Amino acid sequence: MARMKFLCDSERCIECNACVTACKNEHEVPWGINRRRLVTLNDGKPGERSISMACMHCNDPPCAAVCPVDCFLQTADGVVLHSKDLCIGCGYCFYACPFGAPQYPRTTDFGSRGKMDKCTFCAGGPEPDGSVEEYQKYGANRLAEGKLPLCAEMCSTRALMAGDGAILADIYQERSVRRGYGSGAPGWSTAYGRNERGSPFAPGGPGTGGA
Amino acid sequence: MLVKRSSAKTAGNKRSGLVAALADTLESGVSRRGFLRRSGLAAGGIAAVGALPGAMIRKAEAGPILPNVEVVTRKNVCTHCSVGCTVIAEVQNGVWVGQEPGWESPINQGTHCAKGASVRELTKGTRRVKYPLKLVDGVWQRITWDQAIEEIGNKLLEIRQASGPDAVFWLGSAKFSNEGAYLYRKLAAFWGTNNVDHQARICHSTTVAGVANTWGYGAMTNSYNDIQNSKALLIVGGNPAEAHPVSMQHMLRGKEHNRAPFIVIDPRFTRTAAHATEYVRIRPGTDIPIAWGLLWHIFENGWEDKEYIRQRVYGMDEIRAEVKKWTPEEVERVTGVPGAQVRRVAEVIAKNKPSTVIWCMGVTQHTVGTANVRALSILQLALGNIGVAGGGANIYRGHCNVQGATDFGLDVSTLPSYYGLAEGAWKHFSRAWDVEYDYLKGRFASKELMEAKGIPTTRWFDAVLAKPGDIDQPSPLRAMMCFGHGGNTVTRMPDMVKGLEKLSLLVIADPHPTTFAAIKERRNGTYILPACSQFETDGSRTCSNRSMQWGEKVVEPIFESKDDYTIIYLLARKLGFANEMFKHITVEDTRPVPEDILREMNRSCLSIGATGQSPERLKMHMKHQADFDKITMRASSGPCAGDYYGLPWPSWGHPEIRHPGSAVLYDTSKHVMDGGGVFRARFGVERNGVSLLADGSYSKGSEIEDGYPEFTMAVLRKLGWDKDLTPDEMRVIQAIGGGGAEVDNVSWQTDLSMGIIRVALKHGCVPHGNAKARAVAWNLPDPVPIHREPIYSPRPDLVKDFPAIEDRRDFRLVQLARSLQFKVADSDLRQRFPMILTSGRLVEYEGGGEETRSNPWLAELQQSMFAEINTRDAEKLGIRDGAWVWVYGPEDGSKAKVRALVTDRVGGGTVFMPFHFSGFWQGESLRGNYPPDTDPIVLGEPANGVTTYGYDPVTFMQETKVTLCRVEPA
Amino acid sequence: MKTPPEPPRNPPPGNPLQRRDILKTLGLGAAGAAAAAVLPAGDVAQAMESPQEQLKTRYRETEHVKRFYALNRL
Ligand code: SF4
Ligand code: SF4
Ligand code: SF4
Repeated sequence: MARMKFLCDSERCIECNACVTACKNEHEVPWGINRRRLVTLNDGKPGERSISMACMHCNDPPCAAVCPVDCFLQTADGVVLHSKDLCIGCGYCFYACPFGAPQYPRTTDFGSRGKMDKCTFCAGGPEPDGSVEEYQKYGANRLAEGKLPLCAEMCSTRALMAGDGAILADIYQERSVRRGYGSGAPGWSTAYGRNERGSPFAPGGPGTGGA
Repeated sequence: MLVKRSSAKTAGNKRSGLVAALADTLESGVSRRGFLRRSGLAAGGIAAVGALPGAMIRKAEAGPILPNVEVVTRKNVCTHCSVGCTVIAEVQNGVWVGQEPGWESPINQGTHCAKGASVRELTKGTRRVKYPLKLVDGVWQRITWDQAIEEIGNKLLEIRQASGPDAVFWLGSAKFSNEGAYLYRKLAAFWGTNNVDHQARICHSTTVAGVANTWGYGAMTNSYNDIQNSKALLIVGGNPAEAHPVSMQHMLRGKEHNRAPFIVIDPRFTRTAAHATEYVRIRPGTDIPIAWGLLWHIFENGWEDKEYIRQRVYGMDEIRAEVKKWTPEEVERVTGVPGAQVRRVAEVIAKNKPSTVIWCMGVTQHTVGTANVRALSILQLALGNIGVAGGGANIYRGHCNVQGATDFGLDVSTLPSYYGLAEGAWKHFSRAWDVEYDYLKGRFASKELMEAKGIPTTRWFDAVLAKPGDIDQPSPLRAMMCFGHGGNTVTRMPDMVKGLEKLSLLVIADPHPTTFAAIKERRNGTYILPACSQFETDGSRTCSNRSMQWGEKVVEPIFESKDDYTIIYLLARKLGFANEMFKHITVEDTRPVPEDILREMNRSCLSIGATGQSPERLKMHMKHQADFDKITMRASSGPCAGDYYGLPWPSWGHPEIRHPGSAVLYDTSKHVMDGGGVFRARFGVERNGVSLLADGSYSKGSEIEDGYPEFTMAVLRKLGWDKDLTPDEMRVIQAIGGGGAEVDNVSWQTDLSMGIIRVALKHGCVPHGNAKARAVAWNLPDPVPIHREPIYSPRPDLVKDFPAIEDRRDFRLVQLARSLQFKVADSDLRQRFPMILTSGRLVEYEGGGEETRSNPWLAELQQSMFAEINTRDAEKLGIRDGAWVWVYGPEDGSKAKVRALVTDRVGGGTVFMPFHFSGFWQGESLRGNYPPDTDPIVLGEPANGVTTYGYDPVTFMQETKVTLCRVEPA
Repeated sequence: MKTPPEPPRNPPPGNPLQRRDILKTLGLGAAGAAAAAVLPAGDVAQAMESPQEQLKTRYRETEHVKRFYALNRL
């Protein structure tokens, strides 16, 4: 069964932010909320590398584990969704998430932060696929249309990949072999579980020469 | 108020695992975003954003889905850079509701950068100019189109009457379609002036002049896609990761597939350099020394392609003599680059062939821009890399149609298709336009001015402020018609402001108000016409690789905006020459039909081979994009089989002969009907007894197996090929020659029947002749490129060794150079302004930036103007990251208040500023000066508020990359 | 958290949703959309998919998706 994953190839990522704006465009994400963002290591220095980060749709999502109202659900293809109807905006998931994915539209130190919003893997939410309600709360449901996340589909250099994790791993391996070196795709082991995909891509493995 | 994910702060900083590590870096403040986030948002920005939806559960109208409504898909091309990414638009009820990846485009294959991924916002139009506006005593008033055209027209006619046609400056745009650019040039011609220019002046005019003077045509020789064939990439003065992001897809594939060394030469460690296998930091303004330094090793080791040089290059020995001076020690003294590194790079590009050289504005925007370009061209000639797949001079043009606008003559020195301004050129176009030559001549103040280069956009304000005697035309400029052009991309803004103040008429036709509208000094006589974007009209645009792509109208022009064609027509009609100008162009209501304009271009623009790209063929290419190979760009099946994508010019002859276009210029390994070519015989057949024609080199299948001159009737006769002309063709040629002996002079460029071209092709020959490329261009100020220090040189000690060119006159104005340079060097300026100031681009914004800074999806990513300052310098000056600083320029007491971004991206002693900002002036916000609801979301100080004097002698390109400055905490 | 039953049975029948015109099948008129928009979030619960449906696989390896993978291999 295909599990939906992202993989950002830092050898390719040029920090152009197409993924970020594509997401804004597709879901009409308002100012102040970024479902996806760029993280850069060694900015301005040799070895500078960027990766594009969003919700990693973890196999065993820590956000879901801490949610006091149990608003998360994980689809059969591994997408972590949540219900804005149940969400109370408490912010626990933000603490739990290793990637800082959950976002809240309001910023007060006390009281409600507003309903949590995060990357849906372009898979909408608990409402019927493609419904107006679904779009209003969670944005487009590309997966149900037979498409993939727009951020990945539009990535300028084909750095950001999304889809069936097994296929992505395959593509990534092809690239590493072609290059003669790998680069540790940051986030890989956290999102996939340390042992699932074998060592070449895990941080510190033989495939991490470029990182 | 929600500001830029500041929720991260309040929601807690305690994060675990990976992101904690990543975020640490982010928050240590060395990243552009990290620093911006912490610095928050300027108060003005918040006000503007107040209207944006703030909650996550949206109102219905914010969502793009409408039930029960048909979705129409339309194909257009991104309006933000010369890569030319296909944009797939989904439209419902005439509203653009979604963007999808255009997998089929051979160029971008579905991808975009931040700008392209956000173009849909353009037609939502929150910050667009919505109706015509007029400035009355400092207040913007809404007026009708009729009133606007009437008043503007009357004023223009009054100025013409009093001061002559040259008193009006017609500034066109690289964001026009090809048809719009051509039409605007034609408008200026019918108005009677050569004072017509566009952005190419400030981005790649020196490239065009430099390469055209070397091998014949002013364009990228290969393509973005072709870089996948390169075995080594040398990027000089370019940052494609930000300026042409999708090109990096091809470049990185080339790097990976071929394990190609990827070398970046740049004063700044750019995001492109981050992906380099070797990064070479040079002192700004020392491109020629580094090029000659590389060539020194190439010659020294015999790595040059001797046979290629013998057959195809003129004058290389003179280059050798100059290069000899650039020993590793001398190169290091001037550029700061260690000798071993120069040698390593030289060896890599010489031994991994084909190697390509890529350049951008870091090379062109200099007082020695043309010479820089020529030095790199000569480097490629020495290696035999021109005319070879995987090699080439891959010059990344800037705007989405800057190549096309240049090709179609938005230029002070030429008519469309580089015909120049001589009598012959005017006669050619008077025939093509079907008007009397004398009629056109009568439109000008004099025949002399008709054939004299106009005033370039880098100096228009000097031409406004000039005293009548100082300018080589009857009157200083009094009016400016400014279409699609930000004002903040030109250097010396304090002088520009004075010029603006003095204009009696300023007309801005643009989707956004632009910097020009916000200058507070003007209180009357300014009009803004809402022009629509290219997504609201149709027409073709030429990407950097010369492919022409037809864009389909996505939605009708929003609000009261109109497309460029209509606005040009309305003006021409008011000014009284619409009938002559649109003689052979259908005008529907008041809108000239772009297909018809393109057909007229196809009939007249013979000299660059812009003749085969009929609207029908271009549309067919867009429709069948999937049939084109993603590296060669050639279609192997379908109705376009054999064609190169977008028929990259030259596509010789009539569309009917189906020339496939030329993917790689000057490629002798192919038949001319297969896209092959040779260097153009543009500069005669011999010089000082030495032949300029190719020696034993010719394109595949050529019946003349040697060099040959350009084709004229005389040449055809000599070859006995004139018999191949049809009677119809012969009749046209006779008519053009006016009968008699003149017929012999009718050439492939002027023969409107295209018979001469057809016959040349039939015999496997290239119509423009087969010559050598010129390493020595004797008609340029520096026939052999030599290093000259910038006017504001940071090395006064080198100025006497490498002086600027002598002061001179050109383009109707005086050009100061050496006198100013020496004055600067002899003064204490260097002590008072101890840092080098350079400028460049950001990925989120384009050009002057008004359009992109008005787009919330982009504006959110880059909320402050900043200056990059080296870590050690910042420490010395006591400047914290994110703090406000004043950057002072050495002219006019100029200054700009910006935020400091402390980083090692720039070397010690260097300051970098992006040039996309405006709307602040010397610490003061101009937000209130914009017409209501059109002020961009993000405003900032323009970098050019502190840049200085300095121009290339060949094109008057401005120096933006080297000047001096001082930074102080604010 | 809701997770799908293990192991997943046959993937749900590929009901190829066409972007945006799915709405036609739902018969939502313009008025319906507007009404939905002003409903407080809590009141739309009846418009939810069943728990089973919520967890179903949305991903399908369509031509579109295959094209994406192929381009990533270049
Ligand atoms: S998968 Fe969709 S929702 Fe998630 S970041 Fe990408 S575009 Fe945004
Ligand atoms: S679009 Fe691709 S290259 Fe650009 S920032 Fe996102 S992941 Fe990186
Ligand atoms: S700006 Fe250039 S690279 Fe970016 S999407 Fe547009 S055409 Fe492509």
